[in-house]
Amino acid sequence: MNTVRAAALGVAVMVAVMVAVLATGRSGPDRMAAHLVGQPAPPVVGTTIDGDRWDLDDQRGRWVVVNFFSTTCVPCVREHPELVAFADAHRAVDDVRVVSVAFDDRASAVEAFFRERGGDWPVLAATTGRIAVDWGVVAVPESYLVAPSGYVAAKVAGGVERADLESLLSRAGAEG
Amino acid sequence: MSGPVRSPVIRLAWLAVALAIAGALAIAVAADRPALTNADRVRQLAEDFACPVCAGQSLAESDVPVARTIRATISILVDDGVGDDEVRSLLVSRFGTDIDYNPSGSGLTGVVWVLPVVIGGVAVGLLALAVRRWQGFRTAARTRSVLVGTVGLAVLAGLALAGAAGSRRGDDALSGDIRASTRSLLVEALVVPPAEAMEIYDRVLELQPSNVEALAYRGWAAWRGGDPGSARTDLDDAVTLDPSYPDARVFRASRRLAEGDAAGASEDLTVLDGLDAPPIVGDLVVASRLRERVADELARSGEVVTALELLDSGLIVLEGSDPRRAAAPLLAHRGWLLATTGDRALAELSLLSLDEAIALDPTDPYALAYRAVTLHLLDRREAGLRDADAFTALIDQPPELLELLVSRGILAGTGD
Repeated sequence: MNTVRAAALGVAVMVAVMVAVLATGRSGPDRMAAHLVGQPAPPVVGTTIDGDRWDLDDQRGRWVVVNFFSTTCVPCVREHPELVAFADAHRAVDDVRVVSVAFDDRASAVEAFFRERGGDWPVLAATTGRIAVDWGVVAVPESYLVAPSGYVAAKVAGGVERADLESLLSRAGAEG
Repeated sequence: MSGPVRSPVIRLAWLAVALAIAGALAIAVAADRPALTNADRVRQLAEDFACPVCAGQSLAESDVPVARTIRATISILVDDGVGDDEVRSLLVSRFGTDIDYNPSGSGLTGVVWVLPVVIGGVAVGLLALAVRRWQGFRTAARTRSVLVGTVGLAVLAGLALAGAAGSRRGDDALSGDIRASTRSLLVEALVVPPAEAMEIYDRVLELQPSNVEALAYRGWAAWRGGDPGSARTDLDDAVTLDPSYPDARVFRASRRLAEGDAAGASEDLTVLDGLDAPPIVGDLVVASRLRERVADELARSGEVVTALELLDSGLIVLEGSDPRRAAAPLLAHRGWLLATTGDRALAELSLLSLDEAIALDPTDPYALAYRAVTLHLLDRREAGLRDADAFTALIDQPPELLELLVSRGILAGTGD
């Protein structure tokens, strides 16, 4: 009798623990919203559309905005002028740089996109699938602010605005 | 108070049952798995992960950009010799455990696998205890309710966890493999009459609504059974779900050609050429002369260049094939399309392809007949007659070629 009760109680406790764990764990979307923040930035290495080799590791010591985009995505088209304004504003001081990584796109379309809409920062367009997977990109646009230390300081899912980027930069700079 | 004495036979029976269960588990764990090709591994890995932005679709099933990107990356990693476990770890570390249909047995996710077994074990133990007590003396009604309640709870918990754990695999779960069962159904469908095969495909699609193979073959069966509407829906769905499934491409190309959409058929065949299709699919295309028939239709509608590109695409696939003469029919057709443009210079050029076709296979009826007509058109009638004679010496003389040679006055018709 006591054995039966103890066993039944054990099962009940296990089920309760399982329910508690599943109910209180962070959901997938919550986890992905802060994905990579506070972690070392994954590699971004490749050849730009201008034919130059570009490596995120070479940017240690300055802030970098890593922007994943596609020429066929409307929010990406909308955010582009904001990125151009942000890059222009920081060009003279050179405290922050922008790099764009094309997501599931054709290099020729990417070249045309930048030719028409401006933006003179490095753009990686060929064989960028592995970079996107390393960064866990699920839907463009996605942007990451990488600190001079090489750690990811912030993530923006969706289109960015210049003011938001400036705000993130000053907040992360103050914290860092 | 003591229970009934068990006979040695009953003890032996219990021991045999325990040994059988332990043996089955040991075999399941240690059994050799068949070697997989890289393509199989990529497909299996893609099936084991959910598309991060889709509802209820695996990476293998989805065609959204992120699924395409991850599939391509898996393919590169596998080709680079990276092991399945490393690929799984990478995907979980980058996209979270939520996309893993088969979570590992370590860490928190291990609870998903372990707890049902623990609960099941406890339930069985309780049941055994109850049986023993009932054998010895009547237990109180309350004890019985506790036992029934416990077992019921264990069953419910197990069902809930099985649902939460996602897809089951034969080598991971004790409860069977849904994919294995649909696979055996699909194999069965290949050897039964068409009506029964349709029923089997329906059953598979009830179990797995996104089973591309079942969709493609049901669509093909519907087409052959005279139901073009269902065929169109199933084949289009199959290609949408998995654009790289070769069988669906061939079936749809055939259907499109029959419906007068030669351009669509050509598109499917061109995509097929870029896939790592099994030899049987290539054999099917060759045996049915599907590519040549599509090229004919394209040429008839003025798309000669597209028709030539389609044939060239097939020739590229056959490059390095053994025997090389497999390329002869395509070369013959290539020459024929050029010869029938009405341009004398192109007709001269067509001889290059026709000569190469006959060099590869001197008994190819199409190459012989087409060259005979082409030489006739170029006023080299004697040489043309030699090809026509070689054609008539063949055992296999396709009627349409015989008709062609007669209609051009190269061979005498029956009764002449």
